[in-house]
This record gives sequence, C-alpha cells and structure tokens, in this order.
Amino acid sequence: MQENEIAALVEPVARLLADRCAEADVRRIMASETGHDADLWRALAGLGVTGLTVDEAAGGLGLGAVELERVLEVAGAALLPAPLLSGAVAAAALAGTGEPLLAALAAGERVAAVAFAGALDWSGGDVRVAGARATGTARFVPDAAVADAILLVTGDGVFLSEPARVVPLPVFDRTRRLADVAFDAPARQVADAAAAARARDVALVALAGEQAGAAQRLLEMTVDYARERHQFGRAIGSFQAVKHMAADLLLESESATSAARDAARQVDEGAPGGEAAVALAAFACADAFVRVAADSIQMHGGIAFTWEHPAHLYLRRARSGAQLYGDSDWWRERYLSALEEQA
Amino acid sequence: MTDEQLTAEVEAWLAAHWTGAEPHHESFGRDPRSVWLAEVRDAGWAVPRWPAAWHGRDLSDAQGRLVEAAFARAGAPGAGQDRTNLWANTALAHATGEFRRTIVAQLLAGEVGMCLLYSEPGAGSDLAAVRTRADKVEGGWRVTGQKVWTSGAAVADYGMLIARTDWDVPKHRGISFFFLPMKQDGVTVRPLHQITGEAHFNEVFIDGAFVPEDHLLGPLNGGWSVLQTALAYERSVMGDRARGPRSGAGGAKGDLALLALAREAGRLDEPVVRQQVAQAIAWRALNALNTRRAKAELAQGSSSAIMSLGKLAMSRILHEEARVRTMLLRAGSLLEGPEHPRAEDANFLALNAYFTSIGGGTDQIQRNIIGERVLGLPKEPEVDRTVPFREVKAG
Ligand SMILES: Cc1cc2nc3c(=O)[nH]c(=O)nc-3n(C[C@H](O)[C@H](O)[C@H](O)COP(=O)(O)OP(=O)(O)OC[C@H]3O[C@@H](n4cnc5c(N)ncnc54)[C@H](O)[C@@H]3O)c2cc1C
Repeated sequence: MQENEIAALVEPVARLLADRCAEADVRRIMASETGHDADLWRALAGLGVTGLTVDEAAGGLGLGAVELERVLEVAGAALLPAPLLSGAVAAAALAGTGEPLLAALAAGERVAAVAFAGALDWSGGDVRVAGARATGTARFVPDAAVADAILLVTGDGVFLSEPARVVPLPVFDRTRRLADVAFDAPARQVADAAAAARARDVALVALAGEQAGAAQRLLEMTVDYARERHQFGRAIGSFQAVKHMAADLLLESESATSAARDAARQVDEGAPGGEAAVALAAFACADAFVRVAADSIQMHGGIAFTWEHPAHLYLRRARSGAQLYGDSDWWRERYLSALEEQA
Repeated sequence: MTDEQLTAEVEAWLAAHWTGAEPHHESFGRDPRSVWLAEVRDAGWAVPRWPAAWHGRDLSDAQGRLVEAAFARAGAPGAGQDRTNLWANTALAHATGEFRRTIVAQLLAGEVGMCLLYSEPGAGSDLAAVRTRADKVEGGWRVTGQKVWTSGAAVADYGMLIARTDWDVPKHRGISFFFLPMKQDGVTVRPLHQITGEAHFNEVFIDGAFVPEDHLLGPLNGGWSVLQTALAYERSVMGDRARGPRSGAGGAKGDLALLALAREAGRLDEPVVRQQVAQAIAWRALNALNTRRAKAELAQGSSSAIMSLGKLAMSRILHEEARVRTMLLRAGSLLEGPEHPRAEDANFLALNAYFTSIGGGTDQIQRNIIGERVLGLPKEPEVDRTVPFREVKAG
C-alpha cells in the first residue's frame, strides 16, 4: 500500500480508538474479569481490523505486515487491550489454508490465541508435538483465556489442538492478559514450517509496531505536560535537564518507528536480511519503549507516581512487551548472528 | 523519462566517460578531481534535481537517487551534490547576479577551496554574538576581526563569513553573510594543532580585508537566516557520514567493521562483547533507517522531524564505536604508531568523535534545537535577545 492508502486505513481505527478506547475505557477493561471488551472487539471488526491479515477469500482484507504494523502503532498508542496481535498472528499462520477459523476471525466472531512452542518458544514452556499429539504446557500465552481456538506454532509447523487446561496468570500489565495452556490431546497440523516462521516474524513486527506507537504517544503526552507545567516561573520544558531528556527520547522513539516499519517491509518482501531486520526491531523497539516510559515518569514528577495518572499504564505495557517474545539481550544476540551469517 | 531509461542513460554516460582513476582527495582545499567533477557538472549529473538553467535536469528526488546509485555502483564521485554540497546549495539559494553564476559552477567542480568563518573566541555555540565587523566602503565592505576553529582555512579560496554590520539592533538582526576572498592581504591564517595530532583547523586573523559588493549573500543584516540554511546542510551531512579510521590498515569497512574487529581480536564468542558489538552496529543501522525514512517523508512533501536527529545520533554512534574498539583491544589500545594500526584507529576515532559532538553545533545545542524547534518546548530565557548588541556584555 502507498502511504496515503495506509493513512486512509489507519485513520478510522485511530478515530474509533479515541472514542471507544480512551484512558477510562482502558482502565475499565483492565479492571474487568477477562480484560476483553466484546463490544469494542465487534466495533473493530466492523472496520475490518480483526481481518486485516486474513486472506481475502476468507472475508479478510488480505493485507501484509506493513499495514498490520501501522495499525498496531495506533493500537499501541491507545494501549488497546484486545486480542488484536494474537488474531493477526493466527491469521498469518493460517494464511492460504482455507481453515474455517479464518472467516470467523475476520468477522470478529471468534478469538484466536497463539502459543509459540518448541524451537520458537521463548517462554520456558515444554510443549511437544509428536505422533500427532500435543503434550506439555505453553507459558505466558497472550489472550488464551478469552480465545476460542489456540494455535500451536512450532519450528515444524502450525497445529490445532484442544487445550486441556487454560490457567490465567496474575499479571503486572493488566492490559495484556496471559495464561498458561496445558495440552494433552491430538494435534492436527494445518500449516508448514515456513508458515510458522512467518507467523513468528509477524508477531515480532506487530509487537514492535505496538511499542513504537506507544512510545510516540507517551512522548507527545510528556512534551505537552512539559510545555504546560510551570515551576520557578517558567515551563519545566524550558529547563535543559528536561528538554534534553525529551530530545533523547525523540531519537529513541523515531528510531523505534523506523525499525518497526523497516522490519515489516522486509517480512512482506521476504528480503534476504529480513532476519536481522526483525531482530533489530525486536530489541530496538522494546528498549525504546521501556526508556521512554521510564523517563516520562521522571519528567512528570510526583503526579506520575499516582495510580490515576496514565504514565504507569504505559510503563507496565512496556515492561510486558519487553519480555513477551524473548528479551532484548536474546534478540541482540540473534541480530549479531544474523549479520554474521550474511557477512 | 522512465526510471529504467534514466538509469540506462547514466550508465551509458559513465561507461563512455569514467575511467576509474580517482586521484587522492584531501578533504580540504581545491579538489584534485576537479577536471572530472566539471565533466559531471556539465553533463547535468552533479545536481540532477536542480533546474536545467543551473547545471541540473529538473529530476525528482527519487530519480536523483537513481543517478547517485549509478555513480556509486561505478565508484565515480561527483553526483548527488544537490543533497550534500553545502557551499553550492547555500550559494544557489542566496547569492545573486553574475557572482552566483560563477561561484556555483566553480563549487560544483571543486575548483575553489572553502571554509566556514563562523566561530570566534567569544562566539561558539552562541554564534549570534560574533564581533567580527564588516564596515561599508566604496564597492563593498572592509572586514576586521578574528575567527577560530576554521577547518580548511589554510587552503581555502573563500570563507563563508558571518560578520556584524549593525551594532545598534539586537544580536540576531545585525549580522550579514559574505563570501570572503581568503587569498588577500588582511587575511592571516595560523594552524592550530588538534588533539588528533593533525592541523586541519586554524585561527584566522582578519584585518581590513575587502569583500566586494556582490559577495553578500541574502539581505544586508539578514545573515542569520542564511546561516540557518547553511547550518542545516552542514548538520544533515554530519548526521549521514563521518570520517572513518585513518590507518588504512585494511579490514572490513562500514557497518560491520566492529564484527570483523571482534573476530580478529578472538573475542567474538564472549557474550558481553557480542552484546556491545551488536548494540553499536544497531545504532548505526537505526540512524540509516531514520535517514531513509526522513528522505521518504521529504520526498512526499511533508516536513520531517527525523532529519534533525541525525547529527546527535551520529555523535553517539562514533563515541560508542570508539569505546567498543578500545574495549576489544584492552591494553593493546595503549600503543600507537604504524606497527599498531588497530590501536591507532581506536585512539584516533575516540578523539575524532568530538568532531561530530562539538563541531557544527554541540550535542547540547542539538538537543536544544530538537527540543525547541521539533518538540516545541519553550526556549530558555535569554537576557541578551532584545538588547542592542552594542550593550551586550561579553567575556
Ligand atoms: C573539529 C572541529 C572543527 C570545527 N570547524 C569549524 C569551522 O570550520 N568553522 C567554524 O566556524 N567553527 C568550527 N568549529 C567550531 C565549533 O562550531 C564550535 O567549537 C562549537 O560550536 C562550540 O563552540 P565553542 O567551542 O565556543 O564552545 P562553547 O560554546 O563555549 O561551549 C562550551 C560548552 O558549553 C555548552 N553550551 C554552550 N551553550 C550552551 C547552551 N545554550 N545550552 C547548553 N549547553 C551549552 C556546550 O555544549 C559545550 O559543552 C569546529 C570545531 C571542531 C571541534
């Protein structure tokens, strides 16, 4: 898609979220039992967002990582608590399979979660798929408790299996619910290893976009505050100690945005070097968001130490994203390995 | 013309003209490649985005990039000066009349050496405080004052000069911008020894030197805004590239140099080393991605906030790369001399990183600019902003 088409895609989503996923909504959904708002999900489905990466044949928009990443920037900015990332990854994993689940995902009628396992696991789980049977536990699976279907994505391919048990976890970031998922049932392979690898890349790019978007928004909010809050008879943003932090954070958040968008492009193009681009986005975006969130609290002073102020919601989201699919040190290592392989 | 036709035309032209011989180029003074550069200019490849009347071809930014790519593939210099030639861009934008025509042509061919006469002993970060004066005389101005840190002054034909032409207005409003002919009595250049052991920058003593009428750029007393154009070009170039190692001792160049050095040092299997090498490479890669995104945004006609981040980013990259090189060498970095090229490189780069973090506006000034012009944060109170310059305290 061209830049103007992307803008046309993203703009209605941003408007919907401004209206239906304002801070008060985020807090309401956070405090709810499931952390999921079915009405909001239906509204997103109405814009096609739930079917963004679902094949057109199955009623989706059939778009790629580039467009997904941009929508996730907007979602991240609003701290959207919804199974959007999970659903998009599931759709990528099932692309071209004609699975009936795809149409239900696009329509927003069913919710999918994705458990990365085996060679693609970062979480310390022990799921194995052998002899057409899945056994063991996948850890920290996002959105599993509200999902109608859970995909197992391993180094060998994509599998569907009925979970034996889904145990919701007490989480620090209540805008992203996680669960442990135990398997002990037949597993049906629905896609090959290439689809699994692509699903993994899409997950990372989507998460990177979410982090970049959230970092941009939080920095805007912080800069606005620094313009308005006065001490010593002047705006605190006129003090260099504050201004220079803001300038450094802009470099972080813009670099994150560049990295996330470049990784998305490379995933769609299947370019050689894509591995390095995805790894770069994974740690650059995670680190940038954590830094912006942490420094934003400092720049606000006491007000940001209160539960009522949104800064901590961003810090929580930043900290959860930074561990979800492998931590930054792990991805820096993958980045260097990928560069070594290219060299 | 389609992209394919354009690329084919550039390639055909290069095949017919470029012999691959590139004389050594000192980064200052007249360019020894000027015969070749004049050919490139006359063919319209030096500044393809400029109008045809000005050595250009009216190409779009994207097409200009194709020209640069073809030159890069052939290893031929001279293309893309519409993005990178600070001097020519400033002259095209602000010079007038016959002088504009002559100087732009000379600058594109590197036929004249240039320097920047901005900084003074009393005016560094605060350039609007310059005290070098230009007084009106018949046919031009007489200039008197002292400049400092002037890179390349010893081999320059012209200096882009800021000097005070009105002392009775506040400091930003009494400055004019000139092309000062350097080779004349009244201009004395004395080299300064740098921390790198080199002597590229100089003190320049100006005593009644003459600037002809038509060497004024922009309006009289309107030099501050001309300076902003010139500084923006300078900073964007500094954010894009910087001098590499000096030893010429081989080894991998560019982005992956650190990886090669870590391997050579036998330390590529140490996890702590790998993390640091990866992060330094990542910063360079991120800066390149930012630059690419900025250019794409500019090409679409929107302004780009990212463009102003490059110099600050490059400064961090250069300091960090030098630190990682030093870390890799450990005590080996204590040595110098041609027998120890890796140590020479690490130490040179550790020192030369300040070229980017001080020259062209310090990191702190860059952060002020980003904070104020990009993020819209308020300026600091400035006691001297509205006072006639004559009354401003100095020292
Ligand atoms: C290698 C090199 C090449 C150079 N080449 C040229 C050249 O060719 N032509 C030319 O004209 N100049 C040149 N310069 C000069 C350069 O532009 C100045 O050194 C630079 O702008 C800083 O000015 P200063 O040295 O007077 O330091 P000062 O302005 O005195 O700064 C000293 C310290 O105070 C800080 N500071 C000052 N003002 C502020 C502020 N408002 N907010 C926060 N911190 C502040 C600075 O960041 C710095 O840390 C060169 C410098 C170097 C290092």
